[in-house]
Amino acid sequence: MRAVSLWRKQFSTSTSKLQIFDRQRKRAQRDRAAWCTPAHDPLLHSVAQNLLDRLQDCKKTFPTALCLGGSLQLITRSLSSPPANGGVEKLFVMDASFDMVQACKNAYRPSPGNAVQTQFLVADEEFLPIKESSVDLVVSCLGLHWTNDLPGAMIQSRLALKPDGLFLAAILGGETLKELRIACTLAQMEREGGISPRVSPLAQALKTELRSTFALHFQVRDAGNLLTRAGFTLPGVDVDEYIVKYESAGDKFLKGRFLSISCAALELIEHLRAMGETNALFDMNNILKRDTALATAAIYDSMFSSDDGTVPATFQVIYMTGWREHSSQQKAKRRGSATISFKDIQKQFGSQS
Amino acid sequence: MVRGSKDVLQKAAKTLSDILVCPLSKQPLRYCEESNSFISDAIGVAFPIKNGIPCLVPRDGKILEEEDASKPENDSNLSAVNEENLGRSA
Repeated sequence: MRAVSLWRKQFSTSTSKLQIFDRQRKRAQRDRAAWCTPAHDPLLHSVAQNLLDRLQDCKKTFPTALCLGGSLQLITRSLSSPPANGGVEKLFVMDASFDMVQACKNAYRPSPGNAVQTQFLVADEEFLPIKESSVDLVVSCLGLHWTNDLPGAMIQSRLALKPDGLFLAAILGGETLKELRIACTLAQMEREGGISPRVSPLAQALKTELRSTFALHFQVRDAGNLLTRAGFTLPGVDVDEYIVKYESAGDKFLKGRFLSISCAALELIEHLRAMGETNALFDMNNILKRDTALATAAIYDSMFSSDDGTVPATFQVIYMTGWREHSSQQKAKRRGSATISFKDIQKQFGSQS
Repeated sequence: MVRGSKDVLQKAAKTLSDILVCPLSKQPLRYCEESNSFISDAIGVAFPIKNGIPCLVPRDGKILEEEDASKPENDSNLSAVNEENLGRSA
């Protein structure tokens, strides 16, 4: 008993570190997603392809690769089947959800003549159980945006890499699901705005923000800072926006009740659920009321639906690339070590043009 | 047949233990054939291997009984981690 009370004390001090997401809840959601992810999700497919295309730009090969959580199956399939990107020989597939890893293992079919050795394990990105300097490549496809301590997870990935090893990650950015956020805010103003006047407008806005499916305002400039802060060299960041269109497909199940209305916005929620991307905030006391959720869906449809009856949803994907430091990499020269003045260069080239 | 698949599992566990470390202490893991688990001696925690998949999430770890933990835990930092884990799994 003493140990437990001691732990409480320890824990209460350690929670001063910001706990935004409930990792246990996320794990459960990903367990669920393992059962309902379609074999071919166009969004996940294009993100995974885009991410792994980067390997073809490298002359280097990556004999040992580690795949962190996210869309595992697609990454595993493309890394292990010929023509394999990046020359992977040993692949470690990792996720925090056991069902996800098991599903990936079940779907994994080693093709004949395939020399890629694949190993599966269940682990948390925040507590990476990989020996220092042991892998050549770390890939994370849409998994890292749910970590509480993203810099910490990235530092651990960097330590797991061998010198001159590559870190590749795709995460969802702050522009993701902006339509849903707008609809949710409006619905709450309409349904709940008059009920809790004690809450200041700013706090209300903040609360609304927290309740909507995506909380993290992760911006592009943060991605560059993160890579530098985690100690990666030659950092590279680029952004893609995907717009997914959802069609209405009849009756839906929302908040424990079947609805006989047809609403395209609910297709979006179902898709998020299948990807395991629904809300996993730590502070979920204020869950969305069914009434408000329905209003959100209705507002979403009426505000954003196009002529053909589909509704769009934006997914902003931020791709990050970084390398572990190595002496062979290009570096900036020491400050003040230049032998030629910029003025002279300007004189030389300015006179030509 | 059963023995054969067990051998395969053990071989896989061997390859894995080359790169795996304890997620909390980052110290090497020891493969225990008897309990089919990875044991972190530094903090006295066993991580199970389910269906050939090692589970190394801190919450999945089980604190070993006193007689199993061969090494005394002198390091205050490590025992703090241990207590945190105890509280989590409780």
